[in-house]
Amino acid sequence: MENYIGKPIKRREDTRFLKGAGRYTDDIKLPHMAHVAFVRSPYAHAKILNIDTTAAAQAEGVIAIYTGADECGNFGVPCGWQVNFKNGDTMREPQHPLLAKEKVRHVGEAVAVVVAETQALARDAAELVEVEYEELPAVTNPKDAMQPGAPLVHDQWPDNAAFDWCIGNDRAEVEKALENAYHVTELEFINNRLAPNAIEPRSYIADYNVNDDKWTLYTSTQNPHLIRLLLCAFTLGLPEHKVRVVSYDVGGGFGSKIYHYTEEALVTWLSRQVGRPVKWTADRSEAFMTDAHGRDHVVKSKMGFDKDGKIVAHLTDEYCAMGAYLSTFAPAIPTYLHGTLFQGLYTTPLIHLNVVAPFTHTVPVDAYRGAGRPEATYLIERLISKAAIEMNMDPAEIRFKNFIPPFDGINQPGYQTQVALQYDSGNYAAALEKALEAAGYENFRKEQEEARQNGKLLGLGISTWIEGCGIAPSAVVGALGARAGLYEVGHVRVQPTGKVTVYTGTHSHGQGHETTFAQFVADKLGIPIEDVDIEHGDTNEVAFGMGTYGSRSLAVGGSAIVKSIDKVLEKGARIAAHKLEAAVEDLEYGDGKWTVKGTDKSISFGDVALTAYVPHDYPQGEEPGLDFSSFYDPVNFTFPFGAHICIVEVDADTGKVTIKRFITVDDVGNIINPMIVDGQIHGGVVQGIGQALLEEVAYDEGGQMITGSYMDYAMPRADDVPFIETHNTVTPCPHNPLGVKGAGEAGTIGATPAVVNAVIDALAHLGVRDIQMPLTPQRVWKAMQNNN
Amino acid sequence: MLNDPQVLARITPGIQTLEEVAPDHYKAVSEVKIGPVKGRFSGDLRITDKNPEKSSVVELNQQSKIGNAKARITMGLHAIDDSHTEIQYSGEAQVSGMLARMGQRLIGGVVSSLSRQFFEALAREINQET
Repeated sequence: MENYIGKPIKRREDTRFLKGAGRYTDDIKLPHMAHVAFVRSPYAHAKILNIDTTAAAQAEGVIAIYTGADECGNFGVPCGWQVNFKNGDTMREPQHPLLAKEKVRHVGEAVAVVVAETQALARDAAELVEVEYEELPAVTNPKDAMQPGAPLVHDQWPDNAAFDWCIGNDRAEVEKALENAYHVTELEFINNRLAPNAIEPRSYIADYNVNDDKWTLYTSTQNPHLIRLLLCAFTLGLPEHKVRVVSYDVGGGFGSKIYHYTEEALVTWLSRQVGRPVKWTADRSEAFMTDAHGRDHVVKSKMGFDKDGKIVAHLTDEYCAMGAYLSTFAPAIPTYLHGTLFQGLYTTPLIHLNVVAPFTHTVPVDAYRGAGRPEATYLIERLISKAAIEMNMDPAEIRFKNFIPPFDGINQPGYQTQVALQYDSGNYAAALEKALEAAGYENFRKEQEEARQNGKLLGLGISTWIEGCGIAPSAVVGALGARAGLYEVGHVRVQPTGKVTVYTGTHSHGQGHETTFAQFVADKLGIPIEDVDIEHGDTNEVAFGMGTYGSRSLAVGGSAIVKSIDKVLEKGARIAAHKLEAAVEDLEYGDGKWTVKGTDKSISFGDVALTAYVPHDYPQGEEPGLDFSSFYDPVNFTFPFGAHICIVEVDADTGKVTIKRFITVDDVGNIINPMIVDGQIHGGVVQGIGQALLEEVAYDEGGQMITGSYMDYAMPRADDVPFIETHNTVTPCPHNPLGVKGAGEAGTIGATPAVVNAVIDALAHLGVRDIQMPLTPQRVWKAMQNNN
Repeated sequence: MLNDPQVLARITPGIQTLEEVAPDHYKAVSEVKIGPVKGRFSGDLRITDKNPEKSSVVELNQQSKIGNAKARITMGLHAIDDSHTEIQYSGEAQVSGMLARMGQRLIGGVVSSLSRQFFEALAREINQET
């Protein structure tokens, strides 16, 4: 009964979302609940001279006020990934206190917390806390942070570097190849800092129950078990078996809700202090100031080519901001999730990336949709498109010349890159061919020329992308500095009536797991999808899990569920064999029943389930029940890839960019639900367009964030985006049971360079070769004037 | 006239009180609205580099719940003839907190509007005296 895999089944979870019946943390109201407001630093860098809470303590409804001088000031949130200096020195890891003590290091850092009867009273009282600061000079740009004399973020170290790092071939060898190259393309730019902007702001409720000495933390996280582990083992030292972490529905994460934040640790501590449930929900302004940001690399690149346009070497130096403290996965983003993708889709024989990761007086920077891989793809795809212009080659042709030839990972081995990873399977030229065909590339140059005659500036941008998803295996990531494993847990509980509840350690915050996972579970068991439910987000229900990020849920979490399904079917077969008085080897499973091969003797899945729980007539020595949990640790990453084409029109008078068409060909391996994959691509492409044209977190010289609201931080809106034409090729992953690769970040990775390449293509005849993102009308117009 | 704190308090938009704590050093309380944010500011106002009938500098250091503001405004007076004086002013300001986050794009407009109000009030003040 292969009924569900590959079908665009409507999302089951949408019933509650569309009715406004989702269970988000802020929807939860516990009896006797108190509310929290934070007093936050208005300065990027300052000494705290004095905090006077006298007036606030007397305000209406105030239950308690704490500052960094209290016990909570001794606790700090840990970093989950260690990247040491190239010379072997240990990564510099400052304490990240729950409340700042002597100094504040970014705008929005909390210096005091007020607990009160209502949110409004808590906020009113927080305004009465008098904090005296001595303002100090700040540095927000990561390159500036490494210049001699730059203000220090942490005084205990002589400079701002958290670590430095490199990957690839010997630098001298790469430099020599560049010297001897026929042509060298250079590019210097800033990969603009982005604010994640999940529609649901972060929200936490902690509920300490004195009678059984247990905590429940309701939190808007992408990984509840990881939060529990960090909270218990590192931040507060709580006994893990007494802590339950729950995150039912979460309204978008994009990476920003992976991390263990100071506020969630603090509300957990507060709940026990005040003996009541304690709640905090960020407002949008706090989200801008305190959600970990993404990107923020200062980049300098060189790519060398031979006279036929084959890449001979690639050298990049980057300064990648860490922010004021090290967020949970921050050190991994510009290193192991970035440098390891510098091969791109090309046969580049020599690659070297050098990264310096400084502290800056800003909110921490960590993974944001794509996490390191959009940054890698952007620079590689900009370099190759710029080279095509400089070498007077066709941007498609130069890519075809450099693509790694097709390999399926079974008959042909995986592709060993110069930057540590081995790609699983790929057919890169096929994706670009399909995209070019869909775009009508053959005729485009003629249309472009005609449009120019009519005063219209049309441009077409190509980008091809690859991503390392389902980051694994645990032993490898451990060797690379991860302080956790990256396996997943899948638990299949067959109920006595044959209904199935599946518990996954991954977490859905918009991805549609409740539908996609049910589709393959129903197919593998041959039962109706209505008989399968997917549960996630409660550490008391799910044994363990690493959560959802890096497009890992189906590839890793789905595979763990398949492992448990295999165990269910194996045990079920033994029970069926007993009931049918046949040998296990003589049975086959299909359409929800075990049949003795070549006969019409069969027993249904439901009857076997009932037998397992009512084991009267039962195989000797067999345990009752039909309930299996599995841990799945993948043997390799998965490597989805694709080609995006963007067609733009640039207004010749104003520089405004309008996207006319956007074509995607993404190969995410096997597809379980094409509608959900399309949805992921749509959302990702729009976020990629946002970075290219609109979004940027900007700071002034004093370290003030001057884009702290939607008046100044431009998110893409419906009229910024065309109808997105999605296509796929399918190259299955050879090493996981579903053959899937991951689709969550594809759009974001491919879209940004496609848009910028399109704008440069539209203006190339004016001599424009590069424009700094975001490509606002002002910047585009200036580039047009400067080169005219 | 521009060195008289009572006059300054009357003509500077938003100023509610201006108390002298030492010569050329005042405590100021003001209320200003910048776009979506409105704040009650309090703090120091100092007049420095006084060069009577030629120029002076006003230094402001104001705190509020919506962020703090530091400003340095230089005013220059040039006699055109016996009855006309040209006033030139220039300044720079640094803001922090919510003011910087929310109001950045509006600050330029607010500053010119406040300056206009200041000079209109000054003109009224002069007309009343003469």
